[in-house]
Amino acid sequence: MSAPGNAMDSLSAALKCNIIPNQEYLLQGSVLDQYVEVLLHRLRGLCDNVDSGPESFHDHELCFSLRIANTGATTPMSVFSLRVRRALDVSDTPYQLRYIGQQELGDKNRPTVVRSSIDMACSSTIVDFLTELGCRVDFEYIARGYMFRKGRMKITVSKIFKMGGNKPGETVEPISQSYLVELSVLAPSGQDAIAEDMRIFAEQLRPLVQLEKIDYKRLGNIM
Amino acid sequence: MSYSVNISVEATIENQIQEIQYDGTEIYQPPLTLSESLAKYAQKIDFSKTSEVDIKKEESSEDSKSDTDSKDAFQSSIWPWDSVRTKLRSSLQEICVLADVLAIAKEKRYLVLDPVQQEPLETKPMVQIYARKKALGGAANVLLAGAEKMKNSQTEAARNRTTLDFHIELLRLRQNWRLKKVSNTIIGDLSYRTTGSKYLQTGTFEVTKAEDEEKPSSPPSSPLPGGPIPSKPNSALRVSIPTELQGVAYIEVLCQKDQEDLCSVNLNLMGTAPPPSNPDMHWQQKLEAAQNVLFCKELFNQLAKEAVQLQAPIPHMVVGNQIMATVLPGIQLIIGLRHSTSGDKKQQTPPPSKSDHDHVLEHSLHQLLREVHHKNTHHPFPHPATGPLGPSKKRMLAGPLAADRHELLEMTKTQTLLEQIVQQAQHFIMRMRTEYVLDTIAKEVKDPLISSHWNTLNSPTHSCVKIHISTHGYDAVCRTPLIIHVGEKSLKCICRDGKVMNMSYEPQELRDLIFCHISQHQIVAVQALAKTMGWQALGNSNHLGTGAVEPLGNSSSCLLSSPTGDRIIAVRCEPQAGPQVSVAHSPRTDFFPSRLVTERKWEHLGGQFRDVRLDKMEGRNFLHKMELLMASLTSNS
Repeated sequence: MSAPGNAMDSLSAALKCNIIPNQEYLLQGSVLDQYVEVLLHRLRGLCDNVDSGPESFHDHELCFSLRIANTGATTPMSVFSLRVRRALDVSDTPYQLRYIGQQELGDKNRPTVVRSSIDMACSSTIVDFLTELGCRVDFEYIARGYMFRKGRMKITVSKIFKMGGNKPGETVEPISQSYLVELSVLAPSGQDAIAEDMRIFAEQLRPLVQLEKIDYKRLGNIM
Repeated sequence: MSYSVNISVEATIENQIQEIQYDGTEIYQPPLTLSESLAKYAQKIDFSKTSEVDIKKEESSEDSKSDTDSKDAFQSSIWPWDSVRTKLRSSLQEICVLADVLAIAKEKRYLVLDPVQQEPLETKPMVQIYARKKALGGAANVLLAGAEKMKNSQTEAARNRTTLDFHIELLRLRQNWRLKKVSNTIIGDLSYRTTGSKYLQTGTFEVTKAEDEEKPSSPPSSPLPGGPIPSKPNSALRVSIPTELQGVAYIEVLCQKDQEDLCSVNLNLMGTAPPPSNPDMHWQQKLEAAQNVLFCKELFNQLAKEAVQLQAPIPHMVVGNQIMATVLPGIQLIIGLRHSTSGDKKQQTPPPSKSDHDHVLEHSLHQLLREVHHKNTHHPFPHPATGPLGPSKKRMLAGPLAADRHELLEMTKTQTLLEQIVQQAQHFIMRMRTEYVLDTIAKEVKDPLISSHWNTLNSPTHSCVKIHISTHGYDAVCRTPLIIHVGEKSLKCICRDGKVMNMSYEPQELRDLIFCHISQHQIVAVQALAKTMGWQALGNSNHLGTGAVEPLGNSSSCLLSSPTGDRIIAVRCEPQAGPQVSVAHSPRTDFFPSRLVTERKWEHLGGQFRDVRLDKMEGRNFLHKMELLMASLTSNS
């Protein structure tokens, strides 16, 4: 039994040993509403423990951003964004605060996007806390859909809804005629073998869904 | 004949042999007579060809043809029927000649028609035989070709059928088992890895076609150990299982008291499994047996690992295929892995009479491991969906709810399989002991009736029994309920008045408690009965301080007075000795003043108690006797 005082020490030790899963390996794609049933059917065949049906979820996500004025005058202000997510369908689950870092696309040999991701459970006062800190709500949405598991991989098939009224769930309208499909694994950094597994799994969903590395910057250019 | 050369033809000197008799004499054909031979030769002349007229005619017709050569086209065009006419004319001529010949022959003066013996057709037997042989050969060839074709098509169909069977069987196999193709072989997996097992031993088996093995193995050496393929394969499939998974295995669970078996459970997943691995077994049974072996091995491996790691007050022992754990003092739980690979080994295993017992513990072991498997695969999904996979909901809430170190440590604690099975075994023993105690008391004690009701629903480590103490015929008057919770190492009794008694695993404690309650029941029941009879309860005590010291518990007592108050009954009940009843009369019915007691009123102070000999009284039981006693005392007054 070590004394509780050296919590920071053990945390830094854990960081050094590289056992904290802080890297997210991600592939994204989309499927039209009319084919989502086919996709779900296929996922039920491929994933683990779907004998009781797919697990559904209904989440509300708020994206906050904090602008930090840098001390050096030469660089512009950096924007730091945080996401708060909560489940609407399951009671007494914690809120989740999540930081997602810059994504690394890498070269062609790397099969997935890798981005750092730190998440923690928190209580419902996190929204007030962030507002007090000076964060502003950038946008919010509701995601509703199904999630699957295959080993360490998590697959979510979700529809994104715009928040209509002030209260969530009051009036929501879908953003598009398609579902967002995400394949992600949270792992300690350096475990690139899982990316290969993800690529193989994504191959099995073709041509229903093309799970790819999405470059948001390029998307911005198109729009 | 004038232009032909003369050739003398003579008949052969020897006559033809007609037949040869058995004694060797040859019988010759008689030689032809002159006229006969003439007729014979004449018959051979073809008159139609050799007639002079015909030859001449031919010549002349040729001449005329050459004459009319120049105007051939013209002539032929004019006489297209010329050849027909000439043929008709020649035939007419011949008819006329024939008519003439017939007319002459009819006269019988110039011409006689003699029958000519037809020369028998010379037959050459050898040629005939050859010809027939050839013809038959041809026919045989046709038939053989046809037969060959049919045979081919049949074998083709047969081969198609077997391959079809193989594929259908493979399909069936595939529906129940995991298969994959590695180069040219089909490899299956019967391990529990996909359902969450982390056992290292692999459970691969190979699927082959049965007929391929059969052909080479059957002709050269049938008793080949490598090819125990049945001579009559009832399936087109053959599965080969690694030797360490062959046979039948089961986990044997025994509860032993010193050397004597308290209970023994032979657990076998297959239940009434077929006799061990005979090669004729269907692949489904074979695979199930192998899977069972694998499962038992994993279970035992896990238990043995835990037995070594666990720090028990009395250390667990692992010897060979046996784990020994002390459940309660003097009682050991023995878990053994029995694996028989062949028929003769099976006879060495203990006789099946031992397996008549409860299979609950054995079943629980299987259940426990399956639960572990289930937990390994069925991680809860995170909510919200972006959360990490793995941590439980409780763990996720630990942060927001500010769980402390102790709570977090508690979350990581899990009971091992061995601990759980030991607890179940303890409970099993406790339950058995409780049952035994209650049953023997019910048998021993007849006066208050003791009935116990076991709850049908219970958990593996907790069960509950409700006990009613009542007297026959007086259940409505009084009954004493008790509830006993049977745990793993202790008993908890909730008494009628709400008191909770905790007892250890020693059965004597429960026995004493029940006896105390029986004596208290009698006192309470007497008071309740007295109330219905109009008697008055003057006082009672459950723990009487007076009298001899009881070997167990305390005696209880009560005092009852008759409606008029002139009779008093004292009842004292000891857990060991049973009830004692005394009666006092006051005042006496007849009063004679004496020097000491001068007035009648002093008689109300109560007189001497006299013991009632209950065993001499009439009545079915104690309460009945008391009722009769009270009734007689009331009527007297």
